[in-house]
Amino acid sequence: MIKSWLERHGYLFALLCIAISTLLFYPGRDYFAKGQWALLYLLIIVLVGSLSGVRPALLSALLAFLAWNFFFLPPYHTFVIADPRDWLSLATFLLVGIAMGVQTGRMRQREAEAIAREKEATLLNRFSSHLVSQTTTAGMAEILLDEVYQVTEAVSTALFLPDESARLVCSRSLPAGELGDEIAQLASWSYEQAKAIGLPVVRSTMGLPGHPVSVPHEQVASIGARKDIVFPLQSASRIEGVLYVGAKTDGTVYTAHDARLLVSIVNQAAAFLERRRLQSVANQAEALQEADRLKSAFISSISHELKTPLASVTATITGLLEEDVQWDSAAVREELVAVGEDLGRLNDSINALLDLSRLEANAWSPQQEWYEIGDILGSAISRVPQKQRDRIAFSLPDDLPMIRVDFAQWARALQNLLENALAYSGADQPVRVGASADAREVRMWFEDSGPGVAEEERTAIFDKFYRGTASSTVPSGTGLGLAITREIVKSHGDRIWVEDVEPHGARFVIALRREEG
Amino acid sequence: MPVPEKTYKILVIDDEEQIRRALKSILSVRHYEVILAAGGEDGLDLAIDHSPDLVVLDLAMPGMGGLEVCKDLRTWFSGPILVLSVRPGEADKIAALDLGADDYLTKPFSAGELLARIRALLRRSSGHAAQPPVISASDIEIDIARRRVTRAGHEIDLTKTEFEILAYLAQNADCVVTSKMILEHVWGPEYVEDTQTLRVHVSHLRKKIEPHPSVPRYILTEAGVGFRFCIS
Repeated sequence: MIKSWLERHGYLFALLCIAISTLLFYPGRDYFAKGQWALLYLLIIVLVGSLSGVRPALLSALLAFLAWNFFFLPPYHTFVIADPRDWLSLATFLLVGIAMGVQTGRMRQREAEAIAREKEATLLNRFSSHLVSQTTTAGMAEILLDEVYQVTEAVSTALFLPDESARLVCSRSLPAGELGDEIAQLASWSYEQAKAIGLPVVRSTMGLPGHPVSVPHEQVASIGARKDIVFPLQSASRIEGVLYVGAKTDGTVYTAHDARLLVSIVNQAAAFLERRRLQSVANQAEALQEADRLKSAFISSISHELKTPLASVTATITGLLEEDVQWDSAAVREELVAVGEDLGRLNDSINALLDLSRLEANAWSPQQEWYEIGDILGSAISRVPQKQRDRIAFSLPDDLPMIRVDFAQWARALQNLLENALAYSGADQPVRVGASADAREVRMWFEDSGPGVAEEERTAIFDKFYRGTASSTVPSGTGLGLAITREIVKSHGDRIWVEDVEPHGARFVIALRREEG
Repeated sequence: MPVPEKTYKILVIDDEEQIRRALKSILSVRHYEVILAAGGEDGLDLAIDHSPDLVVLDLAMPGMGGLEVCKDLRTWFSGPILVLSVRPGEADKIAALDLGADDYLTKPFSAGELLARIRALLRRSSGHAAQPPVISASDIEIDIARRRVTRAGHEIDLTKTEFEILAYLAQNADCVVTSKMILEHVWGPEYVEDTQTLRVHVSHLRKKIEPHPSVPRYILTEAGVGFRFCIS
């Protein structure tokens, strides 16, 4: 409080100091020699210099010079000098006063600068350490604005970032709320021109790389006199965004010191944004690579799953059509049964591919209604060949609640799990299907007595085209069944996982959240 | 395969030549008289000319689509319409049933499935006079006249509503029966929206007649449509 008053009203302070001290000194004029008063005035000049800086000190030196002359050098109450030796004293006093004023003033300034630098360093240090722990742009925006808000004591502050179509939008503001079109226009102008608006000139000795040229408010069309700052976030490669700093709460203008601090903070923020941008570009490239990998897995799976049955059907039928052999009808029938099975497999593969594409494209949104679990299970089981069905053992309590799902999707999901369990269990091993319910969840599980799923594969087996290490023992499939099941379960907001069964085997569990109804 | 006592006329409307050829060969050898139409307008004309006993209609056709044909046909044709669709679980099947189709099949289907549907539909359309008084499915016997149901010789105690649902499903055995149809038949036309009540009754019915009530084998749910009583 006092300090800032002293800084702002330095000249007034100098005047007051000299006036008060003169009033105090005046009654004692006759107790001391006239030269001793000059020494006391020098003390006052030092005081002014150390509290208010060089210029007020100079003023106080001049005022003390006049006051000493007027009140303490005979003849009193005139500026006339009687004793010619006093001329020398007076001239020396003025020179010494000025020198001391300048010295103490400078010392004060250096001290202030040192304190400011230390504060600045602490602040930047804190900001950069916060920045390191941030992973999202939103998090960065939050701490950037908090920091700027605290440091500058601005009325408001905001960060503008370009959206996907490179249009600048306000990403966050503090205090939250609308800033108005004018500021958005200023930000856009600054973004396009790569120029700061209203930023005080920073001394070139500071050597700030990437510091954009600043223009006064007046140069931006129709803006006029303002006290706020618009600052582009310049990184090595481009403008990453724009920082807006509103006018100071106390109505003063921003100083070069504020500007320097802002530049440092903003440079760090720009570097952060650039890093994020480059990272996301790299991630996209990675995702594209992953998509490429999936595509080739897809193509190899398709060519295998679709072409194999097609090849065997073609071979069988053309074999039957060759006229070199006379087929008896029993043999023809046997061949055609095999053809029928191949075609069934082909149909399954195509359906699996279509289902997964529809799920992934969100073109198969669940139509949820209330059904009994057994109802859906019955529908899934009816699609399994009759001779397989006898291997399934059920453990379903009578009082299971109804569940709210898409019947067709859920039947498909259960069918996949059922077929999996049947395939991995070995020809005449049983498969157990069960369900249970508590207050929160309904669980359904499918247990096989196969080799089980290794710990490290328990997530990957739900990925499409992933074929577990155990899959070499069973007839090949599309590698889509579990992926489809997981997509369906996920689209209903439920969970699926696989666990071990003693002594050997896997248990696939679906947990459905219970809803009111 | 017993020869049908009457030669039924079946009109097949499908734009794909392979399907027409396959259906013709499957149906003709079983002594059905098959009329083929390659498009909607064509099909409607042929339906007027030949007045078939049953129409097999593809839903996905260029030009006049299957749904439109179905709607048009229903203005005067009272025989069964069996629609074919490529997409499982899709809304167009339900739309077709609402427009008056009697059942649907998803392509690809086996000849066995097709014949079972056609036989079930023809049996139903030939009128209740032809309905046997006792319908049996595996170990279940439903005596319509005496209102008695037995499983493996033991009588099952059903409420009046449950019996009526079961009897109605059994009389339409192997055909899809929409929830609306059951509700209208058993409760009356003002109750057609009350599907939740129907589900509760079907659930009770299953507990009484199904060997594994949780995994039904007789009364199957047709997703979003209704139920189908399986005799086979």
